[in-house]
Amino acid sequence: MNLKSTLTALAVAAGLTLPGAASAEKVKMGVSIPAATHGWAGGLNWHAQEAKTRLEAAYPDLEVVLVTANNPTEQANALEDLVSVHQIDALVILPFESEPLTGPVLNVKESGAFITVVDRGLSQDGIEDVYVAGNNPELGRVSGEYIKSRLPDGGDIVVLRGIPTVIDDERVEAFEAEIEGSGINVLDMKHANWNRDDGFTVMQDFLSRFPKIDAVWAQDDDIALGVIEAVKQAGREDELFIVGGAGMKDVIKRVMDGDELVPVDVLYPPAMIATAMDVTALKFFSNAPVQGRYVLGAPLITPENAKDFYFPDSPF
Amino acid sequence: MTDQTTSARPASGGFSIDFKAWGPLLALAALCIFGFILNPAFASEGNISNILTRSAFIGVIAVGATFVITAGGIDLSVGSMAAFISGVMIMVMNGLVETMGVSVATILVGVGLSVFLGAMAGLANGLLTTRGKIEAFIVTLGTMGIYRSLVTYLADGGTLSLNFDLRSLYRPVYYGEVLFVPVPVLVLAIVAILGWVLLNRTAFGRHCVAIGSSESVARYSAVKINRVKTLTYVIQGLCVSLATIIYVPRLGSASSQTGVMWELEAIAAVIIGGTVLKGGYGRIGGTVVGAIMLTTIGNILNLTDLISNYLNGAVQGVIIIVAVWLQRGQWKRRGRSGDGG
Amino acid sequence: MPDGGVAPDVLMHAERISKSFGTVPVLFSVSFDIRPGEVHALIGENGAGKSTLMKILSGYHQPSSGQILFDGAPVTLPPDGLAEDLGIVLIHQELNLAEMMTVEENIFLGREIRRRGFLDRAAMRADVAALLDRLHLDIRPQDRISDLSIAQKQMVEIAKAISRNARILIMDEPTAVLTSAETETFFRQIERLKAEGVAIIFVSHKLGEVKALADRVTIMRDGQWIATQDAAELTPDAMAQLMVGRELSDLYPPMREPDVDAPVMLDVAGLSSPAGVRDVSFQLRRGEILGFAGLVGSGRTALFEAICGLAPTSAGTVTLDGAPARFHDVAEARDAGIVYLTKDRKEKGLLLDLEMTPNLTLLALDRFVRRGLLDRAAEKAGMERAARRFDIRARDPKVRARDLSGGNQQKLLLAKVMESDPQVVIIDEPTRGIDVGTKQQIYHFIAALAAEGKSIVLISSEMPEVIGMCHRVVVMREGHVTGLLEGAAIEENEIMLHASGLKGRTTHD
Repeated sequence: MNLKSTLTALAVAAGLTLPGAASAEKVKMGVSIPAATHGWAGGLNWHAQEAKTRLEAAYPDLEVVLVTANNPTEQANALEDLVSVHQIDALVILPFESEPLTGPVLNVKESGAFITVVDRGLSQDGIEDVYVAGNNPELGRVSGEYIKSRLPDGGDIVVLRGIPTVIDDERVEAFEAEIEGSGINVLDMKHANWNRDDGFTVMQDFLSRFPKIDAVWAQDDDIALGVIEAVKQAGREDELFIVGGAGMKDVIKRVMDGDELVPVDVLYPPAMIATAMDVTALKFFSNAPVQGRYVLGAPLITPENAKDFYFPDSPF
Repeated sequence: MTDQTTSARPASGGFSIDFKAWGPLLALAALCIFGFILNPAFASEGNISNILTRSAFIGVIAVGATFVITAGGIDLSVGSMAAFISGVMIMVMNGLVETMGVSVATILVGVGLSVFLGAMAGLANGLLTTRGKIEAFIVTLGTMGIYRSLVTYLADGGTLSLNFDLRSLYRPVYYGEVLFVPVPVLVLAIVAILGWVLLNRTAFGRHCVAIGSSESVARYSAVKINRVKTLTYVIQGLCVSLATIIYVPRLGSASSQTGVMWELEAIAAVIIGGTVLKGGYGRIGGTVVGAIMLTTIGNILNLTDLISNYLNGAVQGVIIIVAVWLQRGQWKRRGRSGDGG
Repeated sequence: MPDGGVAPDVLMHAERISKSFGTVPVLFSVSFDIRPGEVHALIGENGAGKSTLMKILSGYHQPSSGQILFDGAPVTLPPDGLAEDLGIVLIHQELNLAEMMTVEENIFLGREIRRRGFLDRAAMRADVAALLDRLHLDIRPQDRISDLSIAQKQMVEIAKAISRNARILIMDEPTAVLTSAETETFFRQIERLKAEGVAIIFVSHKLGEVKALADRVTIMRDGQWIATQDAAELTPDAMAQLMVGRELSDLYPPMREPDVDAPVMLDVAGLSSPAGVRDVSFQLRRGEILGFAGLVGSGRTALFEAICGLAPTSAGTVTLDGAPARFHDVAEARDAGIVYLTKDRKEKGLLLDLEMTPNLTLLALDRFVRRGLLDRAAEKAGMERAARRFDIRARDPKVRARDLSGGNQQKLLLAKVMESDPQVVIIDEPTRGIDVGTKQQIYHFIAALAAEGKSIVLISSEMPEVIGMCHRVVVMREGHVTGLLEGAAIEENEIMLHASGLKGRTTHD
């Protein structure tokens, strides 16, 4: 215990003296993201890897260290390693959870590194230099808005939620707020864990249970793909439509092709990690002032604009 | 003391049911009645068909697990093995579309590959536990991690999707029906019958029981322990492969999320069905009932909003424990001695 | 009842002890006493009641009648080893140590020194180190039991007893598993304890050791006290004489004359095995019952396990019915017509949780397969046949093997090996833990098998059994053959002398 904190202190001290020396040589950017445990995170990893290759080619003096973690504890450990072993000059982090990682990120900050936080904010303001924010409530709101526009006279819908987390809660709360008073009746909500198989199973059961469903908010494209199969199996494609989320290429393709069952998608792009890495690199390799918040929208993808969001090479 | 127990017997004698054999089925029946009361849609033909079809994956895998567990082993790798085999199957079939086109032959190659991979994966588990003399728990925990990582790697962390046209061709293997019976249900039924015959009516099955019951007795009784144990893992691998063959056409995809927790569900199905975890006693029929029961619990929870979504896991846990408790008949024994006193 | 006539220097006195298990009497009015600083040997054949007496003296069994005086006062010894608190410690033959724990942890097991709720390891280690030092043992407190030799483990048991202030140490065949060098060390240890005033009771079949070590010897036979004498007055021969002392009854079937011209079925030449067999040669003829006598651990079981593919061989040849035979597993041996019936019914013989039928057919299961499937009707018929032939009695055919009596288990096991229709049958300790009636039945079954032309090897530690049943007797000791006895030479004294190494080839190699 003592040894460990001593080591950390040493590392922090070393880190403080480093940026000046390091900037003369190579700039080290640490990127810490969750491991590819579900589709969206898989896309995140792919985009991070792409951005690393691209940035390192563009800036020969840049070295990107990409580390993944399976849980908040692992991520906190990874941060310690980035500081002590790699002695990074900048950190781009997509925190697993806000609360447990605020302290560890603060430690990195104290080592003198430039901090970019992606997607989820930290629970204490002013730590990060740049915040590239995803907008979970916006995803819920846009989805609600679209469903409302399609069902102006109200109707019955079912909701398939994600893994029980803050993100899921934010999306669902905003969605509910948006459709309030519109006459749209939520028959039931069940967790499908952002998982295709679960989406299929939960939707099968919704279909057995409810003779009339006008729309499905699947919230996530993996779930949506499972839902599509269940609906097809039941032969009820003509009765309803499905709204997913995130921007998975398979779903965007359907939107692009004008699939009636999946008329739109709501973007929540895993590419945001690449954006964050780009912005962070600019800090070191341009004179532009890099500071502040970049809040990404959650735009509605329609057949008209779908091709702008379609990346056939991405695994997501 | 002896007199007391015999004199107490007639009291419960009129109501004597072999709970070891019928316990799982009774528990399932009770669960079904409960489901029907909560929501009559439960008993609809479509829903019953959904439940049975859904049970097919875990059911088929659990039949294989029954052999492994009866012979005193354990296989934790089945879930990730299923994901890995699905992934490789999809990649190879997609690759073959260019040369072989969208044809039944392409699918047959994929199916053949799946069977081969399943058998090899099982063989690897089997040889590592028998010849390698490493505990099955560790071997299969290791292979579990290996297959899971491999599929994540193959899919770049994302999802492997089967060529769209090929999928349309392959689709009936999951969604099709033969004589009004969904294909996966038919597969489960056939696997269960073959498994039952193999376990209860062949020398191999008897040898599995003997090894699980006492490895040293089996050795002294001319049972080829290493061969029989290895074969149980091969059977498990083949069952996993069969499950993937009917799984892939369902969603046409495989990802790192495919088959997560299937190993625990399969083991749970086996134990709910009355097979003894430490080996020496196996029941294929019970295993199938156990698999259906697990699916039914999930189904019922989806059909009602009586219980908070956050408590699904707790409900499942309670039902599994109660089912096994009923099956073991502990409550009955205690009741009887109470009567006697 | 109380007897005032106990000599003042007697530590414990057992008076007219009788013991029955259920309706079976095993001890008849046995008296026994032990003095401080005395080594008292207890000898007798298997089944003579030595173990029962030891367990009564240490509280594990309560006598059915009679009483025990300890320090001159009548006591009822507490059960389950609690007599240790009185200073009476029984060291079982299968040592009772936690293998994965250290010497120190074992010695203090159950009475750990604690300080403020935590283990005081330093104090315990110091205590144990002092104790080991006092006993001149080359063992460290932190050594793990599993890393020690059997002799060292035994020393740890003794140290553990001493640490509990043992006044009487009772040992069941302490030297059975020791090498001669280890036995020497053990002897010195006993002398040391004796000098400290500890009373030692030990059971041994090695009469030479008894002569060398004991001050007094008590001989038992058939549950009766026969004699207690100073060891100095007895020769090993005299001890053997006293132990045997009875004529053989008609427990045994009349012996058929061996056919000297019968073909040799099993020919073993110079066989050695790392499992503890050295350069063993013998021949077995058709229709012959060949006895294998010797002490526990003399290598008889290992020899036949090596022949049947259950243990490795390192040298020598085996010829079965004229063909060379080197088996890798039991299945190969079975197919060649040789089977081994284990002495360990529960661990190696029967699937205790299964019914009788699957147990019966397991060894020869291939014979019950028709077109790939088990022929259940044939299995059932086989079970009925076997039950008739070997008189296996069960309340219910569905009874689990576990719930059968020892005698019926043994008959089922015999029936099981006979299902494979072997030519050579090796039967290891066929009557261990079995009542006299069933014993007699089993002897007749064995004789009948030999009369049918089967060749039988009978491994037994019960000498009357070997003498009553066998045409010839091989005596083994420490993994090699010390004698081959025929005709009139097959008698208990002679076997005992060979088995305990007093006669025959004793040098190694």
